[in-house]
Amino acid sequence: MSNIYKSRKYVLIFLAPAFLFMIIYLYYPFFVNIYGSFRAIKNLGTYGTKWNDPWYENYVKLVTDPVVRTSLKNTFLMIIATIVGQVGIALLLAILVDNIERGTQFFRTVYFFPIVISATALGLLFNLIFLYDRGMLNQFLELLGRDSLIDWKGESLAIFTMMLPVVWQYVGFYFVILQTGLNNISQELYESAAIDGATRLQRVIYISLPLLRNVICTCLTLGVTGALKVFDLPWTMFPKGMPLKETFLTGTYMYYQTMEAKNVDYGATLAVLIVVLGVVLSRVTGMVFKESEDF
Amino acid sequence: MKRSKVGLTFLYVILGAWALTSIYPLFWVLENSFKAKDKILKQSFALPVGDLFTLVNYKRAFERLDIAHAYMNSIFISACVTFGVMVLAGLASFALVRFDFRLKKLCHTLVIAAMMFPVFSTIIPVYTMESGWHITNTSSWILNMVSVILPQVAGNMSFAIIVLMGYVQSLPLELEEAAHLEGCSIPQIFFRIVVPLGKPSFVTVAIFSFLWSYNDLFTQMFFLRRPEMQAITRLLNELTSKEGTNYGLMASAVTLVIIPVIVVYIFLQKYIIKGMTAGAVKG
Amino acid sequence: MYEELVQKGESMKMKKLTAVLMTALMTTSAIGCGSTAPTEAPAEQAAATNEAADTAATTEEAPAAQEEAPAQEETGPVEITVTTTFAGEDSNAQNYKNSVAGWEAATGNTVSDTSATSDETFKTRIITDFETGSEPDVLFFFNGADANDFVNAGKVVSIDDIRAEFPEYASNMNDDLIAASPADGVKYAVPVNGYWEAMFVNTKVLEDAGVAMPGADYTWDQFLDDCEKIKAAGYAPIAAALGNIPHYWWEFGIYNQQTPADHLNIPESADDATGAQWVAGLEDIKTLYEKGYFPDNTLSATDDETFAMFTDDKAAFLLDGSWKVGGIVGSCQSDPDDPSTIDADKLSHFDVTYFPGKGNRKTTDLIGGLSMGYYITTKAWEDPEKKAAAVSFVEYMTSDEVVPLFAQHTASALKNAPAVDETQFNALQVKAMDMMSGVTSLTGAVQDLFNGDCRVSTFDGMPDIVVGNVSAADAVQEGIDVYKDTLE
Repeated sequence: MSNIYKSRKYVLIFLAPAFLFMIIYLYYPFFVNIYGSFRAIKNLGTYGTKWNDPWYENYVKLVTDPVVRTSLKNTFLMIIATIVGQVGIALLLAILVDNIERGTQFFRTVYFFPIVISATALGLLFNLIFLYDRGMLNQFLELLGRDSLIDWKGESLAIFTMMLPVVWQYVGFYFVILQTGLNNISQELYESAAIDGATRLQRVIYISLPLLRNVICTCLTLGVTGALKVFDLPWTMFPKGMPLKETFLTGTYMYYQTMEAKNVDYGATLAVLIVVLGVVLSRVTGMVFKESEDF
Repeated sequence: MKRSKVGLTFLYVILGAWALTSIYPLFWVLENSFKAKDKILKQSFALPVGDLFTLVNYKRAFERLDIAHAYMNSIFISACVTFGVMVLAGLASFALVRFDFRLKKLCHTLVIAAMMFPVFSTIIPVYTMESGWHITNTSSWILNMVSVILPQVAGNMSFAIIVLMGYVQSLPLELEEAAHLEGCSIPQIFFRIVVPLGKPSFVTVAIFSFLWSYNDLFTQMFFLRRPEMQAITRLLNELTSKEGTNYGLMASAVTLVIIPVIVVYIFLQKYIIKGMTAGAVKG
Repeated sequence: MYEELVQKGESMKMKKLTAVLMTALMTTSAIGCGSTAPTEAPAEQAAATNEAADTAATTEEAPAAQEEAPAQEETGPVEITVTTTFAGEDSNAQNYKNSVAGWEAATGNTVSDTSATSDETFKTRIITDFETGSEPDVLFFFNGADANDFVNAGKVVSIDDIRAEFPEYASNMNDDLIAASPADGVKYAVPVNGYWEAMFVNTKVLEDAGVAMPGADYTWDQFLDDCEKIKAAGYAPIAAALGNIPHYWWEFGIYNQQTPADHLNIPESADDATGAQWVAGLEDIKTLYEKGYFPDNTLSATDDETFAMFTDDKAAFLLDGSWKVGGIVGSCQSDPDDPSTIDADKLSHFDVTYFPGKGNRKTTDLIGGLSMGYYITTKAWEDPEKKAAAVSFVEYMTSDEVVPLFAQHTASALKNAPAVDETQFNALQVKAMDMMSGVTSLTGAVQDLFNGDCRVSTFDGMPDIVVGNVSAADAVQEGIDVYKDTLE
């Protein structure tokens, strides 16, 4: 480290404002939240008059509550959907775009569209699309000659209908990252491979993918942590985990318990679970998708 | 390089199909926003021409909703958040990378862990706190705005610091040392070298802070309660809870919220994508 | 012990209240149905309302203004914050806006309005506001158990306390009709408009299915037969989103096992007499679900979607509240704000009737009453600048001139409701009035006493109950346990 950066004074001046913000607005509230998870809280905004009996009551409930299991299951499904759907599709599209000459700019622009739109607006849009009687999809199927309506939000399709828009929204995000990574790969490598007689597919498998490894790892890490935070879209489309509490994610379930079911202290407990889950998963992905220094 | 016509067409078909999924839903909403509500469910694929065309949804949206005001509030909030995040995160990431101090590791961990906190777990204590300071739910416009800006600045801080740290790490130290030898103080180094050279990364942070703040329904729902202080996303949400089956009005409101974002995006997309990839790939 | 007392008190009071309310209602409908403006306050009508409000301002406010004159001069115009549920789709949103403008013009004070649509989030918000000290000066809110927390905390002022200083306060109201808080039996909220819950009918669907319009002697068995016929004709018999708003079915399902006298009892456990009635009520709903009388997507649809089925002639019955009259009329207008665009033919397909009776509950025994009212908060009361303004605001909003605008085809607590012109009513409002004139009793909703998180297991849990994941008895017991917890 250079000897110009020694001054304690500047460390304090530079760091203090940002950390003050984080401590006041993130850490202090979060510790209050942990405290709250042990209290018997009747209303939002208070911390109750007494401790839970027994004090760890909510944590026992956390383990026995079947909806927690559902929401954990869905959250893991969401992570898998993110990895396979978002990063997978994005990778495929990026490789395809890398193989064309005209229109790359157009596809970049268009694929990125959904990211700039608020999830609330997208939720409404998808509500109109999946509307039972009779949104875009069911009208479309009707045109194709189907005579009964499909309940996209019904029991059998709910999970699918919930995840599809989330996956769709972020494909463009990873697409752009991966495409930039591909652009950074030297054309000479491809050309010499072509001279050696490698097919396009071989070039992708033996050149593009290995050289993209680090970028793909970044995407996967972002994807896993991002999947844990998904909230707006599922909540706008499936309030209260409809139908039959099957579509809850950890985030939406916590919101439901706090705001709708008025079980504030249990909601606080779920928030603790979410943070623990987040920290553990980001460590795990950090280990699994460790960036290689070889390249 | 040679390639078959068929193969190329196939590529374009696949790429075009995905592009269609991005564009068509938006177009569908746009075209239906010009139809009377009872027509949407019957003829949603027809173009709104002739008898189908009506402006009644927009008329009603403008009558019912104070859209201009909401835009102003939204842009003010998001601009302040963006500015705050850039300045504070810039300073912090510079210090975290360049300086050596005892608590450095801890600070680093604190930044990363803060990314994991769900907003919903912190919002209630924050609300209680701000109520105590009397800055939320008051009749003062500016105080209400501040009550949203502050938590949003904090919420975007971690991401911004991480992206900017990646950038500062990639800066060659020699540059700063040379500046130091020429007599630059540390703040001067920061503002004259680090900030100008890091434009793409700062733009990334700015864009994402802005978008997140503009689109963040949850915080707005909690802190902006008076009609004259609503921001645009909040307004949209309010509308749907009130007018659940008026799909025409909903389509027009969604259009009104989306259009400015799309326009700004199309104008700025070069910077947006460049900045974003610069930040994400390095960071 | 305490809860028993409250319950007994409640049901006794309810009997009396029902009787008085009925008389009040009869007089109103006899005179001319107590309203000037149709539910959807239209532009033209709004102007009329404005005028009415202005007249009210000049007549009513004159004495009040004099009364306050000294205070006003010292402090100048005051701004008070007011939160109500007259927002969004509420039929009275426009009436409320006009009346507020009338009061502002008459007194020079201003209102900072933070009204919002009434739902669980709204209730949470209000409770949180009280907890954090950011409550409004005047609040229009439920007078049932939803208000217990802030009533117990002494954050609102009782009507008697206000009358000690302002003897005229709510003096135009029949005190017997003002509900007392279930928390301490004291009266706080001055009511404006009442409500009723009944069954709306799409007669076009009934005709297609060959079913006669139900009347005052409609029984549960007839209802089941009719549902079967309607289903066979290819329609959904009942428009309801059990996964979203099961409230009305919950209430009437339980009421059908009971009588007006014991409907407001809250069970001690799922296997006592009342508990068994509740369980039976929920099981009736389960039966309807199993027979396929609800829409196919009743568990995944929103209430808005099933309501649209009803107005689009795809479902026959809709159990809902008096506030839905406006929604149905609005759905018959191509511009919901403009009554001149009304499709009278379409509106004629809608009617409203009683809920099919079962056991000892008469078909004409409905749920209804005056469940909300204006509170003045202690915060405003202790603020010398705002005290008089808050009182004047409530007096204005509950005056003989303003209340009928809000009450329309529902009840009000006025001693002397003024006569109004009936010709301005639309077809459905007239039908609602006819239906109300045959009502034998109006009882409050037991879900207003059994509120908040007690209801989660049977409201949000309704889908689980009807598909059989959870037994009705277990769900009821779970709710009772929560209820007991909150009383401790």
